[in-house]
Amino acid sequence: MALNGANFACAPGEVHALLGANGSGKSTLAKIITGVVAPDAGEIRVDGQTVTVSGPADMYRLGIASVYQELSLIPQLSVAENILLGHEATRACLIDNRAIWAQAARLLEHFSRSLGRSLPIHAVVEELSPAEQQLVEIAKALSRSPRLLILDEATASLHSREVEALFELVRGLKDKGCTVIFISHRMEEVFRLCDRATVLRNGQTVATVDLKTTSPDELLQLMVGETERPERVHKEVSPGRVVLKVEKLRAGRVLREVSFTVRAGEVVGLGGLQGQGQSELLKAVFGAYPLESGLIEIEGRRARIRRPADAIRAGVVLVPGNRAHEGLCLPRSTFENTTLPSLEHRSRCGLLSASRERRAANEVIQRLEVKVADIYQPVSTLSGGNQQKVVIGKWLLNNPKVLLMDDPTKGVDVRTRLELYRVIKELCSRDVGVLINSTDNAELLAVCDRVLVLYEGQIVDELTGDDLNEANLVAAGLRMTASAHNSTRGETTWGE
Amino acid sequence: MNKSIINSVPSEYEVKPPSWATRVRRGLPLLMSLSVLAIVVLVSRVLQPNFFDRAVVRSNISTFLPLIMAAVGQTLVVLTGSIDLSIGGIVTLVNVVTVTLFGLLVGMDGDGPVLLALAGGLLVGILAGLVNGFLVAYLRLQAIIATFATNFVWMGLALYVLPTPGGSIPQLVYRTYRGYFLGVPVAGWLLVVTVGIWWVISRVKLGRYLYAVGGSQASAYATGIDVQRVVVAAYALCGLFAGMSGIALTADIASGDPLVGGPLTLSSITAVVIGGTRLSGGFGGAGGSIAGAIILGLIRNIIFFANVPPFYQDFVFGLIVIGALAIAAVGGVRRRSA
Repeated sequence: MALNGANFACAPGEVHALLGANGSGKSTLAKIITGVVAPDAGEIRVDGQTVTVSGPADMYRLGIASVYQELSLIPQLSVAENILLGHEATRACLIDNRAIWAQAARLLEHFSRSLGRSLPIHAVVEELSPAEQQLVEIAKALSRSPRLLILDEATASLHSREVEALFELVRGLKDKGCTVIFISHRMEEVFRLCDRATVLRNGQTVATVDLKTTSPDELLQLMVGETERPERVHKEVSPGRVVLKVEKLRAGRVLREVSFTVRAGEVVGLGGLQGQGQSELLKAVFGAYPLESGLIEIEGRRARIRRPADAIRAGVVLVPGNRAHEGLCLPRSTFENTTLPSLEHRSRCGLLSASRERRAANEVIQRLEVKVADIYQPVSTLSGGNQQKVVIGKWLLNNPKVLLMDDPTKGVDVRTRLELYRVIKELCSRDVGVLINSTDNAELLAVCDRVLVLYEGQIVDELTGDDLNEANLVAAGLRMTASAHNSTRGETTWGE
Repeated sequence: MNKSIINSVPSEYEVKPPSWATRVRRGLPLLMSLSVLAIVVLVSRVLQPNFFDRAVVRSNISTFLPLIMAAVGQTLVVLTGSIDLSIGGIVTLVNVVTVTLFGLLVGMDGDGPVLLALAGGLLVGILAGLVNGFLVAYLRLQAIIATFATNFVWMGLALYVLPTPGGSIPQLVYRTYRGYFLGVPVAGWLLVVTVGIWWVISRVKLGRYLYAVGGSQASAYATGIDVQRVVVAAYALCGLFAGMSGIALTADIASGDPLVGGPLTLSSITAVVIGGTRLSGGFGGAGGSIAGAIILGLIRNIIFFANVPPFYQDFVFGLIVIGALAIAAVGGVRRRSA
């Protein structure tokens, strides 16, 4: 469902950008071209001929190479071994290491020359910095001498000089007739490097434009489209005292001096493009992501949070992004999952009391209206939405002060989504402060009082009131400024 | 396919091989296991003054060779991030099949096709490995459970082929195994062959793909490597080495025994770990495993020659193996904390 009628074409010797907000399907489109994801319908034509790309091996045969966002390097192998992996030079069936070293050095030469230092071809990849690994990944794609090169967020971990080196390289490839598909969250790079751009919205192609004759504003308009303001969750309470105060959180390039507060009964959103540090920020507050420095205060008191157990004790709980891995013990029952984090409140001399546990579990299940036939059935038998309710419910027994939610409605149907919003609302009326990351802008608009927009690990904008609209959200996420938009504020009460 | 960029490599790109510092750093776990081997050899020499005598060396190599070969086979599978818990079963099956084939084809005078009987044993090993590989790579069964189960299958088949210990092999075969060729023990030559096969594997593409698959399956797939085929090849080669191990064992004990290979499974894994190969895959090599296998064998000898009372032998063996593992682990600690 990530793509629905997307068309896309690019010519030889062209640098073509794929643009779109979160969930517009640009990564999925790139993965279909490289054969990692199989399309349900549609076709790919290379030089006018329909081809099937059923895997990476096909991709290389067609002259396509990709720089993957999550990289495709083997950490334990050396730089040279990684670059030529899969098509090593051989002599009498034995790998010709000297040839491989020479080829790797040749492919990295461009970067070495631009950066004024050589990349060590014999170093083990896991010992390199993220930027160096990214350059190795690029050299690896180039080693296939592609006719079509896909760069998916290839500049994200690069420093400005390395970006320049890459751009120079891309222009060189372009002159040789190679086509480059460029996906980046940095609009400034897109305008500098690309000839044309295809804009995707909700899995559909909106337009393909010439970037020389298109203004950033027009591009933004295409990405946002005509949007109706989603129904807002109406809350009776107004935010109270500060429950969570975060000051100057730092973690390398992932979080850079992040400071903000969340009040009791307030819902604060984390917006911006996906992967700008939102999940890491939530995890850091929960003690599950290592910080270099920073201060966290809960209800005005400094909290030393080094592990999730510290956070839970301080009243901070997390509904993690990956429900199946981090939120639930899937094979265990709904009952056990619900009472797991609060067992110590209900045991007597270390022994668990089945009846007290059952009473507590039932209370939560009723409060959140979890649809479950038998609380002793494995939680994996519940629907996605009900599973998510169990993840939230298991924390309610601890009476949290701060609820952190990482993309809580991913893969959840509309009705359950509304029910989850009702749960958030109910928690707010109990003076819980909620910090929610969502890749769905409509969701942020629906539930949040305030949205903090992150870009490369920094809060670059804060939107409230009338400024909190789709156009501003997308613009802030791309570090562009939206021109005047008609932001009709439709407040609707729903639920009971 | 257009490979213009990499085919026209000018001579100025003749690059230096890795520096010795880099090699030592990458080979640290191997160096650690070689130092453990040196210690064990030294202690053996002290306790056993004739340790370096020709006959003692020959006897030790022929006794250790089955475990060495099994450990090399296990290494190939472990490098891909998998494991073979059925290696002992395969060795047993090869043992009884080879003994039976000698009985059927060759006879005790050694007139018949000896090599055919040996090839039959190797073939059984390879087939068993192929079955393991198919279950793990294509049916996607958990390696640890799938091979635990096939181990019972191989042991059951062995019992069917040869219900009770017995049978015998031509004098020619065990005499040769215990003899010398060009002044070097025949078992020593077989060790050279084992090392040679590993050398070739580690220098063809398949060898590199073993490391790639073990390092990151997803990345290996995204690079166009046929991950499933690599895993099957690893298990099949492991089966081949298990077959060689079974034949060496048969030549050493000169009879068939449907329970003989059992202990080899865990010993081979222990040897691999002492040798510095990561159980999670992607790092290590058979050189360390060979050292590990010799270390395990020598520790048994040391306990015997140190006159440890039989009651405590297993206890002491366990303690020394823990020590050896601890030293071998030192080489890996820095990487993990990095």
